[in-house]
Amino acid sequence: MTDLRIASIPRGKAVTIIVNGLACTAFEGETLHAALLAAGYRGLRKSPQTGQSRGIFCGMGVCYDCLVTIDGVPNQRACMTPVENGMEIQVDA
Amino acid sequence: MHKRYDVVIVGSGLAGLAAADLLDRHNLKVLVVDDNAHTGGQLVRTFPGAGVAHRGFEPDRLKRRGRWLAAVLRNRPVRFLNGSQVLGLYPEGALLVEDRRRRISEYRTQTVILATGTREKYLPFEGWTLPGVLSTGAAQILMKSSGILPGINTLIGGSSPLMFVLAAEILTNGGRVHAVLDQSKASRKLQILKMGPSVLPKVLEGVFYLIRLAAARVPVRQGIRIVAARGRRELEAVIAARVDSSGHIIPGTEQTYSTDTLAVGHGFAPNIELPLQAGCAVAYAADRGGWFVAVDSSMATSVPGIYAVGEATGIAGAGKSFIEGRMAALNILFEKGRIARPVYAERTRALICRHRHEVRYGRFLNMACRTSADAYADIPDKTTICRCEEITLGDVRRQISNGFTSLKGIKMATRCGMGRCQGRTCGPILFDLISSLAGQPPTEIGCNSSRAPVKTVALGSLEGIESKAATTHSGWANAPKMEERYEHPLT
Repeated sequence: MTDLRIASIPRGKAVTIIVNGLACTAFEGETLHAALLAAGYRGLRKSPQTGQSRGIFCGMGVCYDCLVTIDGVPNQRACMTPVENGMEIQVDA
Repeated sequence: MHKRYDVVIVGSGLAGLAAADLLDRHNLKVLVVDDNAHTGGQLVRTFPGAGVAHRGFEPDRLKRRGRWLAAVLRNRPVRFLNGSQVLGLYPEGALLVEDRRRRISEYRTQTVILATGTREKYLPFEGWTLPGVLSTGAAQILMKSSGILPGINTLIGGSSPLMFVLAAEILTNGGRVHAVLDQSKASRKLQILKMGPSVLPKVLEGVFYLIRLAAARVPVRQGIRIVAARGRRELEAVIAARVDSSGHIIPGTEQTYSTDTLAVGHGFAPNIELPLQAGCAVAYAADRGGWFVAVDSSMATSVPGIYAVGEATGIAGAGKSFIEGRMAALNILFEKGRIARPVYAERTRALICRHRHEVRYGRFLNMACRTSADAYADIPDKTTICRCEEITLGDVRRQISNGFTSLKGIKMATRCGMGRCQGRTCGPILFDLISSLAGQPPTEIGCNSSRAPVKTVALGSLEGIESKAATTHSGWANAPKMEERYEHPLT
């Protein structure tokens, strides 16, 4: 999997987030939606009406498409949430 | 923790920061609320993990100023509430705010500045809901705020002026750009020269971007429109075709681009939801991006004690935002007796001239990225219009011909605008659609009415709110106040 992290930008401290039970590396300062994209998760939820996959769209908290479950709380906008060490994410891919 | 402030500012973008800075320097007690984790709004975004030293020199003067203000103000008495959303504004100056721990509190003030900013607009196409299709803003934010490329080889399309900036930024960050497909024609852009020599810096900037893309061998095509996005579960390919001068797709000119990432954008719309809920009057102008908050020459809205500044009063970019933040602050200082009339008059006069120029530039930009009414005719019935509720264009067309020719009517008949985003995404699209099919004037098409909570909130957060204001005033400002004739006093 090719890395989407911009090589020329130095990262801060590495953190571990757990996505669908799998440990995944992210870095302090990254927003959750970006970390998920870098880890290869593009489909984040299924639309209730059609079951179609949805992912990042507006990236700024307006469209409510990038919804994931964070530490047991459902329907959180991944693009508005900074990553935290030990965060547990459920993605409906 | 203090709950009472001299001024509460909603939004920490350039407009909000410009106001906070000036008010604080005159010792007013200021609170700034922003739903983002960072301070600075959409323009001032940096990757916190990279450390200050790496940030490098920012060529854009306004961004530089914004970054500086965002940093400096954190060491001043101004209080910042980040990751917090304003759910509603109530009479007697009460604001209901949900913080990032999902606790709701009431804040009180005599003066509110709404610097709620902007969001992107879109022209829908088949498959635009596929993962892999994202907005030009989303692509920029991924890079600016998290240092992550939107894709390996990003295709960029639409009519947004941001497209070229995005392409250049991707290249700078070591990514690849498949192509830039600009829906409008070069001739439309050259009209900017009519504005005179003052726009030369911006023209040169545009030319610079084009040279940069040419040097990197990124194809830039004018007059090309996205027809469809294809893929089984995620984006795999994009179909685009040439358009004629009215934006109609020319059959037989379709080309397929193999890509897993497409960034699209068609301009910007003001965020008027909180101003509407607060009872502020709005007006419509295509050259301001759509519905915007109506203000007088001191940035005061139709509600006493509430000001609106920045993109919320009309899309025109950072220059106007900064100026308007200052103007509102100056008026507040004058009204509170902190500065004398001659000082107020002199400083305001200096700002008004620049303001006029920024608004003119904004008008040009908004008209340059506008989609013609005819363009909607090409979109197939099965295309999703309301992403939240999955309502198709066919459903909407049917109801428009049944006589539902207002946003409110379409909402009742189809559920468009009832989902989580509350019409923020589909609203501008529906407006244009109704306009093209039924030809109603703006005030008859209307805008989505806005009630508290203005942003989605969990039921659990509502438990045990202690707010006399919120529990006393239900249905305040039920119907949007739309001005039929609005002449901006400063232009």
